[in-house]
Amino acid sequence: MMWKEEDRLPKVGMVGNPNAGKSTVFNLLTGLRQHTGNFPGVTVEIKTGRMRFPSGSEATLIDFPGTYSLYPTSSDEKLVAAVMTNPADTFFPDALIYIADVTHLERHLLLLTQLLDLNLPVILALNMSDTASEMGIKVNAAKLSDQLGLPVISISGRKEDNIQRLLSELEKMLKAPEKASEYKPFYKLTDQEKQITDAIRHNLSIENPYRALLILHHHQWLPFLKKQQKEVLDAIAITKDFQSLRTQVDETLDRYDKFMPIVRESIHQPPAFPSTTTDKLDAVLTHRIGGPVIFIAVMLLIFQAIFDWSGYPMDAIENGFGLLSEWVASALGEGWFTELLTDGILAGMSGILVFVPQIALLFLLISILEEVGYMARVVFMFDKTMRRFGMNGRSVISLISGSACAVPAIMSSRTIGNWQERLITIMVTPFVSCSARIPVYLVLIGLAVPAVKVGGIFNAQSLVFGSMYALGVLTAFLAGWAMKKWLRTREPSFLAIELPEYRMPHWKNVWLSVWEKVVAFVAGAGKIILVVSIVLWAMSRFGPGNAISDATLTAHQEAREMRLDSTQTEDFVQQRRLEASFAGQMGKSFEPLIRPLGYDWKIGIALLTSFAAREVFTGTLAVLYNMGSEEGDINDRTENAAKATLRSKMKVETFSDTGQPVYTLATALSLLVFYALAMQCFSTLAVVRRETGSWKWAAMQFVAMSLLAYFGAWAVYRIFS
Amino acid sequence: MQRRYRTIPDLKTNESARTISITDATLACKLTAMGVLPGTRIEMVRTSPFGKAYYIKVDGIRIALREEEAASILLEV
Repeated sequence: MMWKEEDRLPKVGMVGNPNAGKSTVFNLLTGLRQHTGNFPGVTVEIKTGRMRFPSGSEATLIDFPGTYSLYPTSSDEKLVAAVMTNPADTFFPDALIYIADVTHLERHLLLLTQLLDLNLPVILALNMSDTASEMGIKVNAAKLSDQLGLPVISISGRKEDNIQRLLSELEKMLKAPEKASEYKPFYKLTDQEKQITDAIRHNLSIENPYRALLILHHHQWLPFLKKQQKEVLDAIAITKDFQSLRTQVDETLDRYDKFMPIVRESIHQPPAFPSTTTDKLDAVLTHRIGGPVIFIAVMLLIFQAIFDWSGYPMDAIENGFGLLSEWVASALGEGWFTELLTDGILAGMSGILVFVPQIALLFLLISILEEVGYMARVVFMFDKTMRRFGMNGRSVISLISGSACAVPAIMSSRTIGNWQERLITIMVTPFVSCSARIPVYLVLIGLAVPAVKVGGIFNAQSLVFGSMYALGVLTAFLAGWAMKKWLRTREPSFLAIELPEYRMPHWKNVWLSVWEKVVAFVAGAGKIILVVSIVLWAMSRFGPGNAISDATLTAHQEAREMRLDSTQTEDFVQQRRLEASFAGQMGKSFEPLIRPLGYDWKIGIALLTSFAAREVFTGTLAVLYNMGSEEGDINDRTENAAKATLRSKMKVETFSDTGQPVYTLATALSLLVFYALAMQCFSTLAVVRRETGSWKWAAMQFVAMSLLAYFGAWAVYRIFS
Repeated sequence: MQRRYRTIPDLKTNESARTISITDATLACKLTAMGVLPGTRIEMVRTSPFGKAYYIKVDGIRIALREEEAASILLEV
């Protein structure tokens, strides 16, 4: 195992309510030095980053999910409670930065007082102090610090005010940890709670009484407790007649009673909240009719962006790689190493990077929507609709993100409290057409659908493209509905979501979020694509024993007998070599299974290779139809040259036994449906496994989606042939 | 007999009322943590486009609630 330097650095946790501006401060302190889940043996991904103090020493900053209290209702919030109650946890912090929105401080201190009772060293950072002074709010930080017994600093994450002071205060705290003897709990335990925590201290030797209390509240799901410990806690709860929920509410209200006067004494607030821009915007954006209409318009804009705008950078990337690979080929001369470079590695890299513009653009738009506060409104508007299909209003965010990439989309489902709704969201999100499906759609549609106008306005190709998206979304909803009928649990489900004030996007957050998603894609899915394309190149280049050289010899003879010219001969020989290769033989043995869908052995190979990552499909066909060195007209910028060449090669392809053309309308449509519905992404399956905690759901998703794709494609082929 | 309480679905747009208590314990836990406390004033802003959800304001904070959630908050008449 690799020893990570992060393990030895002090750990600083960043906590606070949702919408307190936590991520802005996190991005400010860590910049690009952040990563996800870089700790050994960690099952849940959590964002960490490296921060540097003015003195030059460093610490690991952990970005905990936003939560209102240590009594969680979603798995995001559970994570915070699980870490804070377990000093042995990898993420257990040495000190905490508590970010609070100073304009709503009365609502932002509950969690802080709970953390104080766990005796964790905390700095209170009063964020949005710039907005506060604009609103005429006056803060007496010294008084607040005195009353709460912790350092208090007014900051502004957006204006980057007072960050140096926050850092030096934090460093002081890390160097001289508070003495445990000074522990003065904020919340006074009731007599019953005291008896209980005494019993827990006695039985499980948990010294901090509030930690003991939290562990009893959460003992049924806390992951670090052993079975025997849970039994002890069960017994304590029963003998002391412990009413968990009621105790939680009483404790919460007691805390409010204690800190509300403190806040009122130290903060001077103007009497009334005037009607704000947010109210005016929401009158339109969440309007009964206007709201959904605007939402649809926003979705169409996103659709336009992926369909149209990202075409230019994508063409540039493909053409650039085409040039590079020509240059490499001419510089190195012929040989297997050149082929490995151009047809394996460069083709693979081009296949990865070509998605970057789309993914970046999509996540740019999605993170702007999130950053300005619009997503919470979408959750509010469509909660009812989503519930009909077994999901939660929050699932909308996952489904929209799924149009870029299912991996972060599935991770965003953590905010859904109800397990069944979250599971359904995870299971159906991969049906939404992600950006990896786009090139497959483009090639197949260009091949099978004529570019004619339908009804005078719509382009037939765009219509089919749009209906592929509709098919994905529709299937996602139907699958959700079916799973809802099948699962049926009675776990409570919540909407209860805060609708934050609209604000201008903080561009630093937006860029970092886009950067993070792109890097995750290139490093995650990208690695798989690269490996697959190298393996594929090798499999189509080499064959068992002398099969390839034998095939080359006989092919040349046959070509002479058929009097083919030199280009025809070359193509013919290539074809025979491919049939004799490992890939060709695999595809052939696979052909009977896929013949009912209208596919030949070459498509079979493409299907096989794209089971790890569907974006490999076009690359595979390019390799199989021998496109490596003659990708042709690089000056042709109006249409993607490589795809046009690939299309023209695919058009003349025939079945080797019957001589019928392979790519009929029926075959192309059947392939389209297959790629819309099939689960062909290892990265997604891996993230499903991690988020659901077992391979069970990932396997079920894989099997169900594959079967659906197979029979869906079969039905379409039968209808159109 | 007159009822001694109302719930959020009973409120008209822009009407407000003070909370008495929250009947559902799990929800009470969540809502109190979000700042919906007994005695705070809740203002109805609007219902969601497809119904069954409410946009409310509590002390300058905006919260969206489902019908069942909204119905479990008892309000003064």
